[in-house]
Amino acid sequence: MNAAIQQLNNAFSLIAPEAVLLAAVCLIFFAAPFLVNERGEAPVGLRHRWGCLSLLALLLASCVWWQSPPVTRTLGPFVLDELTWYIRGLTLTFGAILVLLHWNQADDARSAESHACLLAILAGVNLIAASNDLVGLFVALELVSIPTYLFLLLPRRDAPAQEATLKYFLLSIFSSAIVLFGMSYLYGATGTTNLSGIHAAFSAASDHRANPLVAVATVMLIAGLGFRLTAVPFHFYAPDVFQGAPTSAAAMLSFVPKIAGFVALLRLMVPATGAEQAMNPWTMTPAAIPLLWWLAVATMFVGNLMALMQTDIRRLLAYSSVSHAGYMMVGLIVGMAHEHQKADVLATVSPNSVSGIGAMLFYLAVYGAMTLGTFAVLIAAARTDKRIESFDDLSGLSRTRPAMALLLAIFLFSLAGLPPTAGFLGKLNLFFAAWSQGTVEGQESYKWLAVILAINAALGAWYYLKIIGVMFLREPINRSQQDTVIETPSLIAAGLCLVGTLGLFFLPGWLWVPIQSIMP
Amino acid sequence: MTNWLNENILWLIPAAPLLACLWIVLVGQVIGRKYAHRPLVLGLAVSLAASLYLLTVVVPHGFGHDEHESSHSVMTTVYQWIKIGTIDVPVTLRADAMSALMLTMVTSVSLLVAIFASSYMKGDPGYPRFFAAMSLFVFSMCMLVLAGNFLLLFVFWEAVGLCSYLLIGFWFHKPSAAAAAKKAFVVNRIGDFGLILGIFLIWQTFGTLDFAALFESPKLIDGILAGQPDILHWICILLFIGAVGKSAQFPLQVWLPDAMEGPTPVSALIHAATMVTAGVYLVARCTPFFVHAPYVQMTVAGIGAATALIAAITALTQYDLKRVLAYSTVSQLGYMFMSLGAAGGGEGLALHAVTFAMFHMFTHAFFKAVLFLSAGSVMHAMGDVIDMRRFSGLRKALPITHWTFLAGALALAGVPLLSGFWSKDEILAVLAAASREGEHAGFYGIILAIALLTSLMTAFYTFRAYFMTFWGEEKFPEEAGHHPHDAPPAMAVPLAILAVAALGIGLMTGPTHLYGHYLHHTPGLPHADEFPIDWLMMGISSILAAVGIGTAYQLYVVSPKIVENLQRRLSLAYQASQNGLYIDWFGYKFIAAPLRGLAAICEFVDRWVIDALVDCVGFIPGLFGSIIRPIQNGMVQNYAAVMMLGLVVCLISVLRVLVETH
Repeated sequence: MNAAIQQLNNAFSLIAPEAVLLAAVCLIFFAAPFLVNERGEAPVGLRHRWGCLSLLALLLASCVWWQSPPVTRTLGPFVLDELTWYIRGLTLTFGAILVLLHWNQADDARSAESHACLLAILAGVNLIAASNDLVGLFVALELVSIPTYLFLLLPRRDAPAQEATLKYFLLSIFSSAIVLFGMSYLYGATGTTNLSGIHAAFSAASDHRANPLVAVATVMLIAGLGFRLTAVPFHFYAPDVFQGAPTSAAAMLSFVPKIAGFVALLRLMVPATGAEQAMNPWTMTPAAIPLLWWLAVATMFVGNLMALMQTDIRRLLAYSSVSHAGYMMVGLIVGMAHEHQKADVLATVSPNSVSGIGAMLFYLAVYGAMTLGTFAVLIAAARTDKRIESFDDLSGLSRTRPAMALLLAIFLFSLAGLPPTAGFLGKLNLFFAAWSQGTVEGQESYKWLAVILAINAALGAWYYLKIIGVMFLREPINRSQQDTVIETPSLIAAGLCLVGTLGLFFLPGWLWVPIQSIMP
Repeated sequence: MTNWLNENILWLIPAAPLLACLWIVLVGQVIGRKYAHRPLVLGLAVSLAASLYLLTVVVPHGFGHDEHESSHSVMTTVYQWIKIGTIDVPVTLRADAMSALMLTMVTSVSLLVAIFASSYMKGDPGYPRFFAAMSLFVFSMCMLVLAGNFLLLFVFWEAVGLCSYLLIGFWFHKPSAAAAAKKAFVVNRIGDFGLILGIFLIWQTFGTLDFAALFESPKLIDGILAGQPDILHWICILLFIGAVGKSAQFPLQVWLPDAMEGPTPVSALIHAATMVTAGVYLVARCTPFFVHAPYVQMTVAGIGAATALIAAITALTQYDLKRVLAYSTVSQLGYMFMSLGAAGGGEGLALHAVTFAMFHMFTHAFFKAVLFLSAGSVMHAMGDVIDMRRFSGLRKALPITHWTFLAGALALAGVPLLSGFWSKDEILAVLAAASREGEHAGFYGIILAIALLTSLMTAFYTFRAYFMTFWGEEKFPEEAGHHPHDAPPAMAVPLAILAVAALGIGLMTGPTHLYGHYLHHTPGLPHADEFPIDWLMMGISSILAAVGIGTAYQLYVVSPKIVENLQRRLSLAYQASQNGLYIDWFGYKFIAAPLRGLAAICEFVDRWVIDALVDCVGFIPGLFGSIIRPIQNGMVQNYAAVMMLGLVVCLISVLRVLVETH
């Protein structure tokens, strides 16, 4: 009995930050109904308190996170390695920014629940990073999905939001089912749900032919998680949902599910124990790499080409987020290929070439800063009566609100990948990772991946610069100073994102050093 | 404290003017516009102090000749931008004896010029802008000298070019100033192109751009030479093209005289301490390369000689006081390159050739600065008139300026015991040594003859300018008002200090070998024996100086009639000299005009061929999008169906691959 408690304690200590977040969620859910009267009215300004409480919870979780450094891997249901640690840092930081973005998006009566949902989503992402078991992984994925439905609907319960939520809900459960299907096959092939156990089973396999069960599982997992990444052809919900949902929810959707998807894929496909055994046809890699290759190419092209045609700023950002998912998939593929060949040809690869997974994780952080920054400006630059929807709402922004225009221009420059912004560095890393992998004999296809990435970066620049052109070159369309509101929390969030976007260009080492410790 | 200083001294030197620049730009524009010079003067004082301290850090054991072992370079990585994979871009500062001497010269002259400018520029509407640009200029120059690798050197090489553009075009509303700034920038770019190619070639050949790795290990160079014997020739010639642009050597010297359009302190700065010295520094810095490329060294000497001669001939007949000085700068830079080129004359000469070139640069900085600032003081008093035909006999009206100008002129003419004498004499001596022995003795003989001829002309034109300005009957232009004022204290003090330096610094550091022995501590410079004093050259150059000054006195003070006669008789030659041997005209006619034609053709192709192609390509995304669009119709069942379809396609393709591999 004591041993069981001991074990439970150990497991709990591995997920302490998530426990803090979930405790806060419970507290908010419990307390919130008492502060709203029968008619559904709440005291004015209540949302500020809930925002502060959320920030406090995140701060507390951050303290716990900081106090719990990575520990050696065990066979238990949870792991706390460098990847977990890094992802936690990422979600907690960007979680704070999301709380700031969401501050005034929900009215006082519903603010509590939506904040609680946001915290639950963040906890779910962290749990994905910490899970070492298929069951835990799936539960964590659902901990992200289910609060997301509420988060999309709660702030504004009008028809577009309802439609967006419904679409997301239906497609999301569809994709969850596919993931579950894949997981069951994986369990069938290896006989265990423990991820370390699965990788151990792979390496122990003596059969030198690929396993069809594993291949099917791989396809299913990629397809199911591809929904979270907004990988083509699982991206269709994104433009509609981004358009219909509240801005803060769109911001959350553009970033948080991507962390979830990429981390889940990393956990599933790349053995964290170092990959001496990875050169085994039994693993998921042989099936996953060509599939991901094509999906990445399709994602990049479709995202960028569709974005070119958009006139609605949210739809454009949705497609932009699709294309960025494609860029990050490049990093993932290169990293997997790199791990896969560890055993034999690694000696021939330049030892200090850029690691694909590292480049992807770096880009993830950079992408968070620049895309959340863009949404923050969209929230902050909105008018009292109308949020920013089309290009016309942005035209002449440089005259009416020059600081906003400049901020947005910087974020868009970063999204386009122009120096001196972190977006440039992120794309550069991904490009170099793919290119140096392409120099290995027999892996020339990665060189093509690098070239396609570069072409797509150029395509992307087109529409980002178009927005900048609209802001700076067009005349304002009946905008006046009077009907602007001061959105302090969003402005603070935009400022933080600006620091990230520029800071990671000038001092990339801050992020790069922890990333380098993640993958062997 | 000492440890802290030793470690941080390097970044302190450029940081002080950079902070001054930031302060002026951010704060000085609004608050205390009248005192915008103060941050710069303060910053440069800090830099100068730091540079002087650096002299002792780089060579800790005094200035003795015996301690070659202790010589070393100091390095600091100020900022590591990115170190990811093979990409490693550190901002490394590196100082050795050569850079320390250079920095001392740059910061001291700049400081004096800044003090001078604080009074000279008074009342200008762009007062803070001027000092901001000047701070940036000095910062860039310091960084150029401190650069620890070729990449950083190139960045600040360009930054110096940019700052010179800003300063030459300071009065941009004047069309001539704007044109001169543009010309300086464009001509510099030609040289820069050579430099960047050279840097690429170094990267290609050596795989590193780090000075420490390249210059302090002879083994590396020997290894490369064994495989590619000619590669260093190419590298050196490309680097030299860069130097030609920046140091205004033939045929790219055309920008420097026009650079007079900027405010006079800028001219002093560009001509004396910063910018033009960068080319000399680059070639001197790359001595370990150049010693392996004797033909390039001969080219250097030849270009230097041609430049010196052409510029001296042009200077003979100019009426614009500042232009005389500008051409003399070009000519003196030619001297420095002759000296650098003399390294090709023999094994043992390389060290001395470099030393004497750097020494001439050092003394030249002081006497050219005092000459320019005195010319500025004349201009200030004469209401911005600088044509020597419109004023004369200023000796009594402007006593301080007169004396300081005279000090500079004597030094430039090479009067014995003054600064210019020592350095110029050494250059002549090393050229004489090169012409005595070795396989290229004949070539260096011609160079020596040109050098001597130029030396005569230098003395003549300098004193022609002096006599025309300060002697003869007292005459003021009407712009000057009734009573011209001599330099106010803020201008007089820097003038006086520079004049004293112009007179004495050569004697102090030349014959005592203070400069030479210090410079020998530079890592990478070849070793050599003591250089004997060449009494013959000393004698000849003294006589030439005396003859030049005497002739000028005779022609412009005693009997000015002769000049008019000469002008009439030799009108063709006179015209040629007046117009700078028509090099500018030639450049416009035969280089710029064909290029313009080419540009017109390119424009045509760009507009009607490339643009059309791009428009076609731009059509593709639209087409593609319109194919995909129907799927994106907002129907959730549709989306689910396509997702399912995608899943099935993925599944089939993966399983098919699986089947095929079995």
